[in-house]
Amino acid sequence: MRKFFTLFFKHNALLLFLAYCSIALLFMKLEREDAFSKLQTSGIEFGAGVNEKLINLTSLLNVDKENQRLMLVNRDLLMKVLNHETTAVDDRNRRKILDSPTFNASGFTMARVVDRKFSERENMLVINAGWSNGIKKDMTVLVPEGLVGRVISVSEHYARVMPLIHTDFKVSVVSDSSNCTGILSWSGGAESVAQIEHIPISSHLKLNERMLTSDFSTFAIRGIPVGKVVRIKPDKLFYSIDIRLAVDFSSLTQVLVAPLKIEPEKVAISNDSTLIEQIP
Amino acid sequence: MQEFGFSRLALFEAFPDALSVFIAFLAVTEGKKTSTSFGFAAGILEGFFSGNNLGLHMLANTSGGFLAGYFHSPEDSHATAKQKTRRFYGAVLTAEFSAHTIITTGYNPLGLSPEYRIVTMGLLASLMSVILAFIANRLFLKKTFAA
Repeated sequence: MRKFFTLFFKHNALLLFLAYCSIALLFMKLEREDAFSKLQTSGIEFGAGVNEKLINLTSLLNVDKENQRLMLVNRDLLMKVLNHETTAVDDRNRRKILDSPTFNASGFTMARVVDRKFSERENMLVINAGWSNGIKKDMTVLVPEGLVGRVISVSEHYARVMPLIHTDFKVSVVSDSSNCTGILSWSGGAESVAQIEHIPISSHLKLNERMLTSDFSTFAIRGIPVGKVVRIKPDKLFYSIDIRLAVDFSSLTQVLVAPLKIEPEKVAISNDSTLIEQIP
Repeated sequence: MQEFGFSRLALFEAFPDALSVFIAFLAVTEGKKTSTSFGFAAGILEGFFSGNNLGLHMLANTSGGFLAGYFHSPEDSHATAKQKTRRFYGAVLTAEFSAHTIITTGYNPLGLSPEYRIVTMGLLASLMSVILAFIANRLFLKKTFAA
């Protein structure tokens, strides 16, 4: 026994080494049987967590540069998306007008509504076609659904349009079945309803009759739809009539500008009574 | 430090081992038992952090610690600082090479040949560890060996 302890103390480092090696070998054996999988998993979790923190710390140092780079990428992407979206919308609206089966748009100038001043008493549209596109004052602005308004001033690339729903706007209209003629105007309020004046109570105008622009108009070509009669109320001499307008002004994006109606002789004869005497 | 710092200083897949340097220092100053025990503990830590081969790391570092213990320089040996430093470098070389050899024998994640793993990479890793030991000696251990 004494010899054993002498031997142990003399070679205790070797015995310690052997003991550690035995434990290590036991661990190796147990590892193969997945007994330490939980310990290994937590080791991986810990190592990965520390690594992630280290990477985050490094990236924090470069966060300004990275933010700047991402902002530039975002800006480029946003520009691309906006360009694509606006092109798609423009193309859809253009096709809607050109593909309309009941409307021949040849000879008309197409324009986009780029601005709209809207208040309870005033509406004004700005379109992106001006005198460089052949636009002139008093041209008729319309869409396949109906009359929009008239051009009141023109610049090189833009034109201002007084829409039908403007208190100063007036146009001569005629009903499509009873041929009653009147003057259409808008007195404010709801933008989908306008009024017709000067239709005598002796006329045979009925509800739901369609109203079109007439030959009497000094600027609009005839036959453009304006709206449908929704209310007829007899007054002393004339009917008080409301019509629901054919055009939805709230969603107006693309319009057509009709060529100018040139009737100088008609205008002259309307304004100057002396000409009548000269005609044989 | 080893797991998240020195292991990133890889050159041809070999990197310096700070644990071997520390075990070698303990082997020279404290003796075989201490370096063996610390080798064992370092193996547990290394195996835990690496997430695999816990037993293999324990075995490798225990062996490294035990073998480095042969370079022990007892206080009554009257060895000079230069002799202690040489023993220290020898202990680093022995601890690292033996630990590296055991690990590469039991684990071959890159599928390299045993000769290449043991001779080339083992020697390269040992050399890098000696360089680390040299830097550590210059910065921190010089006074300890001189005492």
